[in-house]
Amino acid sequence: MMGRNWQKTDATGAMPVRALVAAFLRERWDLVALVLLALAPLVIPALGGALGGQVTTLFIYCILALGLNVMVGYTGLVHLGIAAFFGIGAYLCAILTVPMYPFQMRFVTAALVSVLATAGVGLALGAPTLRLRGDYLAIVTLGFGEVVKVTLRNLEQITGGMKGLNPVPPPGAGLVVGGLDLGRAFAVDPRWFYYLTLLALAGVVVAMRRLENSRLGRAWVAVREDELAAAAMGISATRVKLSAFAMSSAVAALAGCLYAASLSTTADPNAYDFNRSIMVLCAVILGGLGSIPGTLLGVALLVGFDTVLAPWADSWIQQMEVNPSGSSLLSFSGWRLAIFGLALVLVMRYRPEGLIPSRRMAAELHKAHP
Amino acid sequence: MMPLLEVRDLEAGYGPIRALDGVSLDVAEGELVAIIGANGAGKTTLLMAISGVVPVRAGVIRFADRPLAGLAPHEIMRLGIGHAPEGRRIFPRLTVRENLELGGFTQTDRRRLEQDIAEACGLFPVLGDRLGQMGGTLSGGEQQMLAIGRALVGRPRLLLLDEPSLGLAPLIVAKVFEVIAALSARGIAVVLVEQNARAALKLAARGYVLETGRITLTGTGPELAADRRVRDAYLGEG
Repeated sequence: MMGRNWQKTDATGAMPVRALVAAFLRERWDLVALVLLALAPLVIPALGGALGGQVTTLFIYCILALGLNVMVGYTGLVHLGIAAFFGIGAYLCAILTVPMYPFQMRFVTAALVSVLATAGVGLALGAPTLRLRGDYLAIVTLGFGEVVKVTLRNLEQITGGMKGLNPVPPPGAGLVVGGLDLGRAFAVDPRWFYYLTLLALAGVVVAMRRLENSRLGRAWVAVREDELAAAAMGISATRVKLSAFAMSSAVAALAGCLYAASLSTTADPNAYDFNRSIMVLCAVILGGLGSIPGTLLGVALLVGFDTVLAPWADSWIQQMEVNPSGSSLLSFSGWRLAIFGLALVLVMRYRPEGLIPSRRMAAELHKAHP
Repeated sequence: MMPLLEVRDLEAGYGPIRALDGVSLDVAEGELVAIIGANGAGKTTLLMAISGVVPVRAGVIRFADRPLAGLAPHEIMRLGIGHAPEGRRIFPRLTVRENLELGGFTQTDRRRLEQDIAEACGLFPVLGDRLGQMGGTLSGGEQQMLAIGRALVGRPRLLLLDEPSLGLAPLIVAKVFEVIAALSARGIAVVLVEQNARAALKLAARGYVLETGRITLTGTGPELAADRRVRDAYLGEG
């Protein structure tokens, strides 16, 4: 889909270096970002500490948002319960690996099984709701999200209730490769998870790109644009929507597996509540519906703000000792949601198609009169 | 010889409204059949019922000797029925090329698909010039050509055209009808639904007049064009 324009201008040789670099960044932002992120832990020692864990979480949310983007962005189905699938993936992965259950699979096997099973759950939710659209589908997915959360909380014998399931062993637990105990390495140094999630994210981005340009990807968009016309093209809206449900759920489950493994616990069910779904949805909309770079940027801004910037600003304020009474008015976190909301309002006012819009959405929102 | 499309006593509608009330018609292989009628006569519903979008309440539709009852629209399309719906319904935010590719959605052979797209562009050279342009940026006439081109990429044996002249300048209408005649000459059967009765009957081998859900008159194109009632009601010569 992306033209390789910079190669053409390169051949003329007439372009100034700076413009050339800009064009290169625009076309190959993905490669540049990947290389920078891959090199970062070697240069920034903080990534070996708490920051590494936070960035890992960020990558996981990127995967989750790309999953949601399949439904909301490509297929145009409103989904307010993506966190439920995130949670189902996390809990399934935990059940398949924690010591209290007899399965105790390897992480990769457990992740694979969870992803497939969660795709099945997605189909089970999708099948009865196929004829719903817009607000109605939004309400069903919202309700499903709450049901999953409450179920996880109440099924104490299986899910551990509010305690969640733990300890989820790190990937490669018990595996020794060349004298290196992989499980221990993952447990001790957050950079292992950093690289694992970065790798998974890169894989998901590549997969999404290929999907965008596949028959299935075009069918998603066609159904979003005009179901009747799509049917006249021989596209089964039923099958296409179900595949979007399944794909979204599967990718969300992958994110959930990585989440549980990186925290070594599923955390309590509230980690998969409505707020989480909305946060991810906001990230996708802020970045640009149906746009891969937009979605990634949206997550980086929203979730990054929440998990990386806010704690950092709080500790900075504390160090400055301007807030001896501990008043929440003087802590950054107290203002977090207000800033968050204001930023969203501003973006929707001035750039409703998102920060990095997909080609199609930009055309929709800024079209001249027909 | 068996007709390619056979409609018998078809009833269809929406809720309490009965839009089609016992319609029967035949289309032979390669034949161009016009259906004329006023607004709300049921012309669009008839095409939608044939392509499976509107459910059939009673009666039978057979295509190539196969009953279509119970088939979903995409399955009917795969049997070889192309539908260029009313209002064109192109995908405005997809490029012309993507629109055409979707027309060949059921075609998995990439080479044949390219061939079909090239053929559609041969028929409508303007599409070939605008492959990279968004469908929504085309003019009305171009969008109509895209809608027909898109239906053709699926290699239909029967093409359902719903008001292809709607909202188009007379010059463009003439061009669109020229192409329809060319398609028919290639052996593709066409059901042409039109308000522009004069042009449609000039082109069609046979025609049907649809009035409030019933066929009230049928005959060859020239017969109908010469018919007193048709002239009064649809050709504005009353």
